[in-house]
Amino acid sequence: MKTSTHLGVIFFPAYDWAISPTHPEREERLLYTQDQLREEGVFDLPNITEYKPEIATYADIERTHFCFPGPQEVSTESHLVAAGGAIKAARLVMEKQVDKAFALVRPPGHHAMKVVHGNRGFCNINNEAILIEFIRENYGNKKIAIVDTDCHHGDGTQDIYWHDPNILFISLHQDGRTLYPGTGFSDELGGPTARGRTINIPLPPNTSDEGFLHVIDNLVQPILDDFKPDLIINSAGQDNHYGDPITNMNFSAQGYARLNEKLNPDIAVLEGGYSIQGALPYVNLGIVLAMAGLDYSQVREPDYDPESLRQSPQITEYIKKLCAQTMQNYLKPPPLNVKPNQYDTRSKAVYYDTDGISDQQLEQIMVCTSCSGVRHLTSKTQRNSSCMGIEIPIDACQRCRNEGYRLLKEGRLNFKGKTIKFINRREQEYLTVNEFELTPMGRYYF
Amino acid sequence: MLLGIDVGGTHTDAVIIDHKGVVATAKVETDHNDLIGSLDAVLERILSSHLTRPISKINLSTTLTTNAIVENELEEVGVLAVSGPGLAPYYFSSDLGHNFYLLAGSIDHRGTLQLKLDEFSANNAVADCQKKQLKVFAVVSKFSIRNPEIEQTLADLVTTQADFIAIGHRLSGRLNFPRRLATAYYNAAVWRHFNTFADAITQSLKKHNLNAPVNILKADGGTIDFKNSRNNPIQTILSGPAASVMGIIALSSITEDAIILDIGGTTTDIAIFANGAPLLEKEGVSFGGRATSVRAIDTHSIGIGGDSAITIGKNAKIMVGPKRLGPPLALGGSQATLIDACNVKKLCDLGNSKKSFAGLQILAEKNQMKVVELADRVLELTMKTIHKETNKLLEAINQRPVYTVEEVVHGQKIDPQKIYIMGGPAAILAQNLGQVFNLKTEVPENFAVANAIGAALTRTTMEIELFADTGKKVMLIPNLDIKQEVSSSYSLNQAKEDGVNALTQHLKENGHPEILNRDVSVVEAEAFNMVDDYAVGSKTIRVSCQIRPGLETNYLQGIK
Repeated sequence: MKTSTHLGVIFFPAYDWAISPTHPEREERLLYTQDQLREEGVFDLPNITEYKPEIATYADIERTHFCFPGPQEVSTESHLVAAGGAIKAARLVMEKQVDKAFALVRPPGHHAMKVVHGNRGFCNINNEAILIEFIRENYGNKKIAIVDTDCHHGDGTQDIYWHDPNILFISLHQDGRTLYPGTGFSDELGGPTARGRTINIPLPPNTSDEGFLHVIDNLVQPILDDFKPDLIINSAGQDNHYGDPITNMNFSAQGYARLNEKLNPDIAVLEGGYSIQGALPYVNLGIVLAMAGLDYSQVREPDYDPESLRQSPQITEYIKKLCAQTMQNYLKPPPLNVKPNQYDTRSKAVYYDTDGISDQQLEQIMVCTSCSGVRHLTSKTQRNSSCMGIEIPIDACQRCRNEGYRLLKEGRLNFKGKTIKFINRREQEYLTVNEFELTPMGRYYF
Repeated sequence: MLLGIDVGGTHTDAVIIDHKGVVATAKVETDHNDLIGSLDAVLERILSSHLTRPISKINLSTTLTTNAIVENELEEVGVLAVSGPGLAPYYFSSDLGHNFYLLAGSIDHRGTLQLKLDEFSANNAVADCQKKQLKVFAVVSKFSIRNPEIEQTLADLVTTQADFIAIGHRLSGRLNFPRRLATAYYNAAVWRHFNTFADAITQSLKKHNLNAPVNILKADGGTIDFKNSRNNPIQTILSGPAASVMGIIALSSITEDAIILDIGGTTTDIAIFANGAPLLEKEGVSFGGRATSVRAIDTHSIGIGGDSAITIGKNAKIMVGPKRLGPPLALGGSQATLIDACNVKKLCDLGNSKKSFAGLQILAEKNQMKVVELADRVLELTMKTIHKETNKLLEAINQRPVYTVEEVVHGQKIDPQKIYIMGGPAAILAQNLGQVFNLKTEVPENFAVANAIGAALTRTTMEIELFADTGKKVMLIPNLDIKQEVSSSYSLNQAKEDGVNALTQHLKENGHPEILNRDVSVVEAEAFNMVDDYAVGSKTIRVSCQIRPGLETNYLQGIK
């Protein structure tokens, strides 16, 4: 019996939280997973330990997101506990209490972007990003790779790390032309200072184990070998499963377990997955055993029939080509038409499907030649008239750091909006400047 | 009048209690090779006192099952297991004797039969067991508590050749297949041994003209009636520590969060109380390297007691325990012990203090210390160790995972207000312990036969788990073997009511007419909507009810 890997599992099913009684994100979602894990006795295995989540603080959220008007308005206690579960996973691994950790928590988070006005794609705050910023705040800047294996494009995580060359974001998902959120195409490769640090692999519907594992072996693994991250984090969505009611893929519990074994992540964080009876109990059992280095060969769904799930030769061929092309995109991303040491601008329209909020964003990044570049954005919704976010990155050079403070000062003087959020990751200073402080009276005092 | 007997590791104690208090006590040494002899001896002694009224109830705590397992006096068991897909079988099939048969078949988490039992292989296994002349069996399937049909089929297959069959779902209604499997195995393996002993008990009681109902102590601080104990001998394991915890409740008035320390000769047992009630192990007790589903008071044993030897290792590192090398020097032993250090510090004056002093002095001089300094350091180390281990246990209890936002954010933590200390050296060490914990301490009087008092006053306990699936229109209480059809509108409230009623009804039929519905607490009650195709359909309902560990309140006044 191989018991060398000590796995910590933070299991938090949030039995008292739902988006609505019949929503896929409802109380019951992890009930059968817990039944299965308990009946199998996995927490009695000598190298698997169950832990209680921590409770994330507003500070944990505000070092990661620009929340408008503030974190208390866009999150609930459930979100704090789920994010706290991810933080617990990070703490356990970083302090070497365990070798690996799986935060089996809900609500999920990977659709939550840098700016948060509410809930989109079942997500409010980004558990993985909060975890990463917790690590970088407490244990120093690290090179981290996030591999998002949820069926939906991890557009939130992508947005947060779009400009960060130290965070490699790889997302495998069902092609955005056929599924929410409709993004995650091969040419989305990261901003000017982090080109090639965002990698998207849009897979055709009906991709099965063979296709997913091909991508891991022939694309993800070589990229990781090249990037050499200090940590690998798996955004472990389980909705690529053939039984999932809201997607169209053919991945299995065996496939998920093998993917996990190959990827060998330090930390996994649960994302989506809504076949709560037929898939989740088996997928989660498979992932837990694979992470702990235990035998998962006997894990399978009652209705598993590999023959009927086999992908077509056309899909196999398509994926091979996609991998080859994506590898080139990673190694030699097509350059952007930007000027060094000047701002590059992108505008975005973000729709919050759950809360019905439309957000118009204008984002500027300093195309810095010596750091990730200061980030400056404005965001406008029907709810929050106009907001501003300024971020000095963790690796900021002195020039970008000073530029961040200049933007803050200028914002205080001239910004006609509601709130300014200021994040200085370099010196760990976090500020909120509210409307009243922006009035002429307020300005007087600064 | 109540008769309590504790057949312990060293002594067999007996006590008779009436409404006014303790009427008689007796103590004899336990003869491990003749537990019935020890029982006879203690009965003889205690019944020689003049009794004004007849004994109305007998509660017995015995190490028999524990010893049988520790000493590997286990009968060969035919184990028929059906696991289906999941964890690879070699993780749970080891240490279950030499006759383990894994059979194909599968039930899923909702209790749906996904694959029928492979009856051909099952018949072969049964024939093989017959060839090996096996007479006791354990039959266990995964998710049998959601659907017992595979276990029932297996039981039917062996019934003609079996003296006893341990059936998984009858032993515990909780999810945990490997624990149910181990529990069923041990239950079958000690069954004959326990029943031989039970027959002898019957004889012995008859000989002493005792015909009151008999209950056997369990590890969870409760009792099981004699008749049912014969089919559930595994429940009687580790009842000794439970009896001592119940003893301390009898002798004190614990109403708060508290720490209980039972300091013996070799070990100190720690238990934690929440609101005056002992905390139980979350899943069940582990022994012999195997986790079981046997409910038990959560006690943690550390290797420090009054007779723990003091040794000084490399770099003048002082150690107390875990070895015990005979009695203290003061009582004629050959090695300095914790008690000797207490003698030096004048915390007590046990036996010949001069011998304690002389012994510690030799040890101290060898290590360039003053004798009082050594005694101080021994005590300090003892206190530190007990304090650290207790805090570890508390931390583990407070960090137990919970599954709702409400409990994570607003859940109560255990915050002990007081330490209750029992055992031989209790009074000697109480003050020091109070200081290191910075808590009030209490040493109950009369602790010499506390275990027997605990045994005498302990009430019955029982737990049931109810599971209902209104989609399948079924309600199950596995360990009472209840399976009923329910309507699709069956509710959580009905489930709670059914759970409570089933529990009291069972106890009424098994010698406990005194148990009323109000004695039953519903410890968990959850109903989840099961949504199919995005519409609310049926419900999955889980209710857990129990009689908490407690004492015969009618008799408590007299004791205190």
